[in-house]
Amino acid sequence: MLGNYFKTSIRVLVRQKGYTMLNIVGLAMGIAVFTFIFLYIQSEIRYDRQWSDHHNIYRVTSEYSVDGKVEKIALTPFRLSNDFNDGFPEVVSATNMFFTDPSDVNDVSSVTYEGHVYEIPNITLSGHNFFDIFDYEFIEGNPDTALTHPNTMVISSKIAREIFGDESAIGKKLSTVVREYSIVGVFEQKCNPTHHNFDAVVSVSSLDKSGLTRLQNDWYWLTCYTYIKLNDTTDIDRFVERFNAYANKQRSELSEEENLEIDGYFHNNFEPIYDVHFNTQLQYDSPSNINITYLYIFGIIAAFILLTASINYINLATARSLKRAKEIGVRKVIGATKKQLVFQYISESLILTTISFVLALSLVELLMPQFNQLVGKELTLVESIFSGSGLFFGLLLLLSIFVLALIGGSFPAFVLTSFNAATVLKGSYTIVHKIGGHHFSAGVVRKFLVAIQYIVSIGLIISTFIIYAQMDFLESHDLGFEKDNIIVINSPDDTSFMHKLPKFVKTLSKDNSVLEVSSAMNVPGYTESKMLFYVGDTADQNIQALNFYNVGYNYFELLKASIVKGGHFEYGSYNDDYNNYIINESAADFLNLDTVIGSKLNISFNESFKEGTIVGVVKNFNFSSLHREVEPLVFLLNPRNTRYILVKFDKGKEAESLAHIRKVWNDFNEGSFLHYTLLSTKLESLYKVANNMLSLFAYFAMFVVFISSLGLYGLTSFLIQQRTKEIAVRRVLGGSELQIVSMLAYVYLRVVLIAGIIASIIVYFFMSRWLNTFAFHISMDGWYFVLGTLITLIIAFATVYIRSRKVVKEKPAVSLNITE
Amino acid sequence: MIETFDLTKTFKTESVETIALRNVNIVVEKGDFIAIMGPSGCGKTTLLNILGTIDDCTSGYFTLFEQDITRLNEKQKTSIRKRNIGFVFQNFNLIEELTVYENIELPLQYLGWKKKDRKQRVDEVIDQLNIVHRKDLFPAQLSGGQQQRVAVARAIIAKPPLLLADEPTGNLDSMHGEEVMTLLNELNKSGTTVIMVTHSQRDASYSRRVIHLFDGQIINENLNKMV
Repeated sequence: MLGNYFKTSIRVLVRQKGYTMLNIVGLAMGIAVFTFIFLYIQSEIRYDRQWSDHHNIYRVTSEYSVDGKVEKIALTPFRLSNDFNDGFPEVVSATNMFFTDPSDVNDVSSVTYEGHVYEIPNITLSGHNFFDIFDYEFIEGNPDTALTHPNTMVISSKIAREIFGDESAIGKKLSTVVREYSIVGVFEQKCNPTHHNFDAVVSVSSLDKSGLTRLQNDWYWLTCYTYIKLNDTTDIDRFVERFNAYANKQRSELSEEENLEIDGYFHNNFEPIYDVHFNTQLQYDSPSNINITYLYIFGIIAAFILLTASINYINLATARSLKRAKEIGVRKVIGATKKQLVFQYISESLILTTISFVLALSLVELLMPQFNQLVGKELTLVESIFSGSGLFFGLLLLLSIFVLALIGGSFPAFVLTSFNAATVLKGSYTIVHKIGGHHFSAGVVRKFLVAIQYIVSIGLIISTFIIYAQMDFLESHDLGFEKDNIIVINSPDDTSFMHKLPKFVKTLSKDNSVLEVSSAMNVPGYTESKMLFYVGDTADQNIQALNFYNVGYNYFELLKASIVKGGHFEYGSYNDDYNNYIINESAADFLNLDTVIGSKLNISFNESFKEGTIVGVVKNFNFSSLHREVEPLVFLLNPRNTRYILVKFDKGKEAESLAHIRKVWNDFNEGSFLHYTLLSTKLESLYKVANNMLSLFAYFAMFVVFISSLGLYGLTSFLIQQRTKEIAVRRVLGGSELQIVSMLAYVYLRVVLIAGIIASIIVYFFMSRWLNTFAFHISMDGWYFVLGTLITLIIAFATVYIRSRKVVKEKPAVSLNITE
Repeated sequence: MIETFDLTKTFKTESVETIALRNVNIVVEKGDFIAIMGPSGCGKTTLLNILGTIDDCTSGYFTLFEQDITRLNEKQKTSIRKRNIGFVFQNFNLIEELTVYENIELPLQYLGWKKKDRKQRVDEVIDQLNIVHRKDLFPAQLSGGQQQRVAVARAIIAKPPLLLADEPTGNLDSMHGEEVMTLLNELNKSGTTVIMVTHSQRDASYSRRVIHLFDGQIINENLNKMV
């Protein structure tokens, strides 16, 4: 009997090639996209779960409030790890890792080995406990003893291969401009993702003694990430409480000693290591962190895509099954029991879903390189399935495919077999579903399912429009300064470069392609510094915190930022003794001074407060992402301390100015790589997450529209089949082609229209929340919603038209004969 | 073999109630060949379907082999049907996806026969009906007459004591119609009880008894003169 079922199923599928293809391809694509989204979500959830004690590992972060303004920062004072190791027995191990600017892609260090210069993209410093907490796999060296001595370095296998080839790296020396490091370990970079972002770690004891002593005593200078591993029995809440009580006591003793009065609080938070990747609230954090809401959105989209594909499958299966009604009748007449028929149709459905499943996984495997490129990951299907939740997912997917096969197969199995054979053979039956005591015809149920598909399609199209419009708005938004045609060059590691800087800047200016040159510690789009300050002559008033930019001469002219009061930092206009400030309008409002120009501002500087004068007010400009309002910002003229050199070039002369920069750079910094970025590119990168979301939404929207159209194409086929005679009669009576196609299209187009209205309401709700994450955003015009719905309606009409054109054009006599 | 007692069937739509059969009482003896005649819509096919257990009556009851069929559930009816009744339809109702051989074999599969026994029996029947050379073809590859031959073969494969035929020659030309009627006649002679619905006087002439229906009622029942 099984053989008979199988034979019949295969022959039915082959005979109805078109529908079989629609069914298999639609479902396979749905499963494939679902799998891709799952793999993406899984790779994100896996962040920092590979460490053997990840449930006991925490990252310590800082939260403080000064004068009512709360700041949350991923960094802590350097000393915390020592405090943990020395005074808290529940801490198994604590370590720190130095901050490297996550916003600067060019934060690269150059090292020399046997006369050749190599680049290490990210070097950080850490204590020897680092590898106690994070069990990186060492392919050379011993993680237990690594980084215990000064001037030692652990490097990644990639860097080791690049510099030393197949030779062992242990004991080899790498030199920077500062000192020479001995390689004590090589770790393997596995695909297990982590928020850490380094290619080499230098022992923290390599820092010079005076610097270390300063770091070890400071309770306010936030310089490091701190990680701790607790023992299994620790009650984390009580531990946090105990530690903060200790730290606050230490801080207040220090404030008393230095006679400081700060109106606010300082608090350390402890976040589980595997939650770090999903924290986007903190400043100075890993750029790879993402908002977990995106994962929820993707998860929901994935579920809807699978749902859409499944609806297609069920709709096509039920519509197709109508053609099988006669066969069911015959089988019943010659003695098939209901059980046998149910088994037959479900097994047929199972064959179809299994083929789709296999095809889907093949598609995933085939398109994996393109997908990896899109999401910037290195995922493999096999590895993902056999790791962590992958196996569970695989089984869950298999189970859902099985359930889908059951649903798809059970319609003909249960509904059609429940009719008495005589009725089915006569062809005079209406299929009715009973839901919650109400009866619905199969057509109504199918329309309901089509509506769900189109709510998803239209929702995604409208969302894509809105995201696109917002991105376009961000692109064209007047930032208050000119971001174009500016090259930002990273200063070399060499500290002696600072002495050469004025000459370097002067030499750079000597080319026709170069319009302005300036230097700075801080540039719009990169991180800003935070400083404590007080207004006036004494610290009697409260100490407050402000954003801070260290800039060189000519900074505002180069950025074309307008000075509204006072003067620029022109060459020679002020001395460079750190005591001249320009503040932005927002800071002027915040400080609420009677006379701004000439007011005194005392700023925390090298463990003491230094007095300076406000010499100008600059018009507010967006110095960080448009997610944020323009916050108060103080610019300190500090040309001797610089991290970036800014070059404004003549429009269209980028190549020329770059050639000039390269030449001057090589003259001044032999043996050091030139790293630069266009300021506009850097600013665009602030919206990388939103841009990624835009491309993903666009792909999802196109895909769901395509899959819904496939479904509509199939449903139209059955509609035509059922109404061939009616179409012929209408043609005989003089109905035009367009009238008849419109009549057919109307059946589902009104469903699409209703779906458009529902989708608009849902999208309005979610997109207004998304837009509110930007301080500067578009307003949602009605046309996004109208256009989204209209486009879908046009696609749906075209689908119906393409499918029905041939039948409508058929000579009525032929059609009428068919149905005789 | 069959006895009906006030068999009545009504079809209801929202506004109209149509009486298809009204208090039909007939008796069919083993070995009978009965033709049911009457104008379109008089209830012939409905009566045949009810007797064949593929439709239910609204009131009254009937017995098959002295068993009240109307009291049985679907599963029991299926069991009785597959063992005792063969069907031949006007439009053949062969399964398009199965070959001639597979179509004929299907009832035996539902009866749970072993493969070897099935093959033996199918070979016997296709030989008897002279369709050996067409056994691997699909229904669409056959002429109407050939399809009806296959349908008859399928109907008799399980050697049912009762054969129900609904306009078996309705879709055939006279030559093929003649062939099918000869076939039914031979089956009847070999002991199979045949009940046939027909419009054709010529087909009815093969039967022993003719029952005339009009508006769901038996208006006339007479023995065939040819018998």
